[in-house]
Amino acid sequence: MLPWVETLATPARLLLTVATLAIVTTALLLPVGAALDRTVDRLRDYLESTGSRDGKPQTFYGPKWFRPITSAFTNAVDQFRDRERTLSNDLREVEIRCRVSEVQQRQTEAVLHSLRDGVLVTNAFGDIVVANEAAGLILGFDPIEAIHRPLEDLVRDSKFCQLIRDVSETANFAERRHIEHEIGVDTSRVFDVTLACIEDHKHEVAGVVTILHDLTRVREISQMKSDFVSKASHELRTPLASIRAYVEMLVDGEADSENSRQEFYRIMQDETDRLGRLIDNMLNISRIEAGIVQTEREAVDFKSLITRAVESLEPSAREKNISLLNKPAEVDLTVEGDSDMLYQVVLNLVSNAIKYTPDGGRITIAADSDNLTRCVLFSVSDTGLGIPPDAMDRLFEKFYRVENYKRVAKGTGLGLSLCKHIVETLHHGQIGVESELGMGSKFWALIPMRYAGSQAAA
Amino acid sequence: MAGRILVVDDEAHILHVLSLKLRNAGYEVLTAVDGEDGYELASQHVPDLVITDFQMPYMTGLELCRALASNAPTAEIPVLILTARGYALDDDDLKLGNIHGVLSKPFSPRAVLQLVKETLAKAA
Repeated sequence: MLPWVETLATPARLLLTVATLAIVTTALLLPVGAALDRTVDRLRDYLESTGSRDGKPQTFYGPKWFRPITSAFTNAVDQFRDRERTLSNDLREVEIRCRVSEVQQRQTEAVLHSLRDGVLVTNAFGDIVVANEAAGLILGFDPIEAIHRPLEDLVRDSKFCQLIRDVSETANFAERRHIEHEIGVDTSRVFDVTLACIEDHKHEVAGVVTILHDLTRVREISQMKSDFVSKASHELRTPLASIRAYVEMLVDGEADSENSRQEFYRIMQDETDRLGRLIDNMLNISRIEAGIVQTEREAVDFKSLITRAVESLEPSAREKNISLLNKPAEVDLTVEGDSDMLYQVVLNLVSNAIKYTPDGGRITIAADSDNLTRCVLFSVSDTGLGIPPDAMDRLFEKFYRVENYKRVAKGTGLGLSLCKHIVETLHHGQIGVESELGMGSKFWALIPMRYAGSQAAA
Repeated sequence: MAGRILVVDDEAHILHVLSLKLRNAGYEVLTAVDGEDGYELASQHVPDLVITDFQMPYMTGLELCRALASNAPTAEIPVLILTARGYALDDDDLKLGNIHGVLSKPFSPRAVLQLVKETLAKAA
């Protein structure tokens, strides 16, 4: 201890000691503090650059003892970066999947809405989950507004709602249920209803898918078919009945003179011909309707068709003292079509005119070209009985015959139906009739000069 | 006289065959081409038997039967129906008229004659 210190009083000595210590400590710590400052600055720079979004991992130029902290930080940052990359990749994938599934959903909805069958999906509580437009039309609700609403609020048909409830309650996921059910208030239509119970991931009832398939048209077609068969068999039986009866009469020797035997033979021949014509017409009509008829596409001169038909019918016209006027226009009357089929039309229309025109009448056959529509207009006008107004609409129906005229002439009821098919189905033309009761009728047909189907190739 | 028979059919050949067969067997035959015509002839001549087609214009064979049954002078006349559509007639239809038999077309004139003989024998 310094000698002058000892002269100081104890408090002063203490103060001096403290001051000295402070000065020494400060002197010692000053460089340390400066070094720490630099380290903190570097650390901040390092953290800022390493932690920034696009920062690259930096090297830390600091004291060695600080390295474990910075490297731990660098590792943590790296890990976060990896996590972030993975997550953003995942996110991108999810976004793509989301977009794909949106497109798929729109497609599925488009498919669903384009279906003619009604599709209705209800959940386990009987609320509508999906309903396509057809379902809305059939059941009478707006399919968009109906979503999430209870089916029973929208559909009054309690039997139908009960059906869906039953299927939901049975929870039978393996089998679909089919049932025929009539839906509709004013015009009730028959539907084939298919119901399937669907399950969720816990194997519990998720809801019911109901598909409504309209059977009305199928029923109509099947009715038409059975009507055709029943009418056809009736028409076939009539000539057959005559033939059979006359044969038996001949066998039993009921015809006592050669004259009456000859008459029997003639009737049997006529009826056999009628049977043959009937079968031919029926086959032709059903072939055309089925779309399996083979038709030619050749140049057909209408003038020569008419001349041929008139020649072959001249004898029967002469029998009734009917004059046949053949007046085709002096222009080119060539059409593209099937010569045999078109001949059948001309023959049928002229022969009908002869049948329903009383003795001494007149039949005019005209043909001209219509440049506007590029068609040949062919017509047969007679001074015959005319057609009752109520029969006009049904004239071209299969087997339809004007009730009052059945006795006037024999017919199959198929001739006009066949003509319509030949003109309209096979040649894309048009057929029609104008008539006044008691005054006569005019049947006309428009045949395109060029077959519509071959225009593209021309 | 074996009896008077009215045959009603809109098919001329059927009328021809049946009337010849029945005439050859000794019956007197009247013919009509539709139900109305047939009803009038039946009312006028009161035949012993009527043979009628089922499907005819104006008045079907069944309507003719009912008309005959509802008219006192003709009510008891037995009727035979010829039909190409046997299935269109059910038992209720048959009860309404005095129908004694149904023959389906194509038919045998021999069988018709046989049925005529039996029906007239029963009615006598």
